[in-house]
Amino acid sequence: MRRFEATQLVSRLAGESPIVSNLGPTSSDLWHSGHRDRNFYTYGSMGLCSSIALGMAMGTDEQVISLDGDGSLLMNLGTVASIGREQPKNLTVIVWDNEKWGQTGGQTSHTGMGTDLEQVAQSCGITHTKTVTDLEDFEAAVSEALASSDGPHFIVAKIEEAGGTTSVAPVEPELTLYRFRDSFVEPRKPGD
Amino acid sequence: MNWAEQIVKTLKDWDTSMIVYVPDISIHQVTSLIDADPFFRLVPATREEEAIGIAVGAYATGKNTAVFMQSSGFGNSINALASLCIPSRTPIPIFINLRGGLGEFNIAQVPMGRAVIPILDQLGLPHYTLEDDGNMERSLDGAMKLCYANRQPLGICLTTALHGGKVA
Repeated sequence: MRRFEATQLVSRLAGESPIVSNLGPTSSDLWHSGHRDRNFYTYGSMGLCSSIALGMAMGTDEQVISLDGDGSLLMNLGTVASIGREQPKNLTVIVWDNEKWGQTGGQTSHTGMGTDLEQVAQSCGITHTKTVTDLEDFEAAVSEALASSDGPHFIVAKIEEAGGTTSVAPVEPELTLYRFRDSFVEPRKPGD
Repeated sequence: MNWAEQIVKTLKDWDTSMIVYVPDISIHQVTSLIDADPFFRLVPATREEEAIGIAVGAYATGKNTAVFMQSSGFGNSINALASLCIPSRTPIPIFINLRGGLGEFNIAQVPMGRAVIPILDQLGLPHYTLEDDGNMERSLDGAMKLCYANRQPLGICLTTALHGGKVA
């Protein structure tokens, strides 16, 4: 399964639901899957993608999707425990797991040496978990998660390290935050 | 109204209802009040940078949020502030129990405690050290107003002079 194809699928299934994307190629893939104001691209703060999504899921009743990565989530496994503790019914975490730090030279990450993120999620009290390796199973897992109201859902998507990646998306953190936020609240007026 | 009650009142005045924190014995005087008040949702994080991430997510959906942490944990949150909050201009009041000052008994708390304010300065973030001097209401209100006007994090430092500190 290739990440870009899987990202396009998520973007199509998500409707208007907010999507938070991990820094680097995950955000670029999401941008190239079709920009929408409810895409929250991240540009730094490695490890915090699913923490941001957790905060969103507590701030809105809408379905929230996190597109995380194995290397990034390994940096902040505590947030899996927080998701297990808070049990947000409207959160789906998708972890692109290529078993590598793909952006730093392709070094083998801990998931390539035995760490099982689905088991981590289970151990943290997240009961709806899946590990999928092909696009068909991935589509079924995401569709089921988004149609349900019994989250959180945690999907480990094993992906191949893509050869040609999408070009880098525009780096515009402030614009990303406020166009996203303005889709939830009244836009700010002059002087606010 | 004591200092902790004043902080709770100010958070309410600014409609700041989601509070993310990593527990600390001195700020427990505030977070225990928050926990008992149905106006608030109190969210424990496993680590301070995670707390910042959760707060940014909640702000992105329209909720005002504040974060409580100890100075040692502020050290854990620096990159979240530098690479998430500052570039995206996310206003988050951060209440920091400042260890390492008057009455400190633990040498391990001194370096980070003393580094908090220089680091806030280096990041270009406003900060105020709260004193129970009769002006707390005005100081807190002004800090919140500045935080949201500036659309950047703002440090509100709490010292032993305010809360009495942790007894060894």
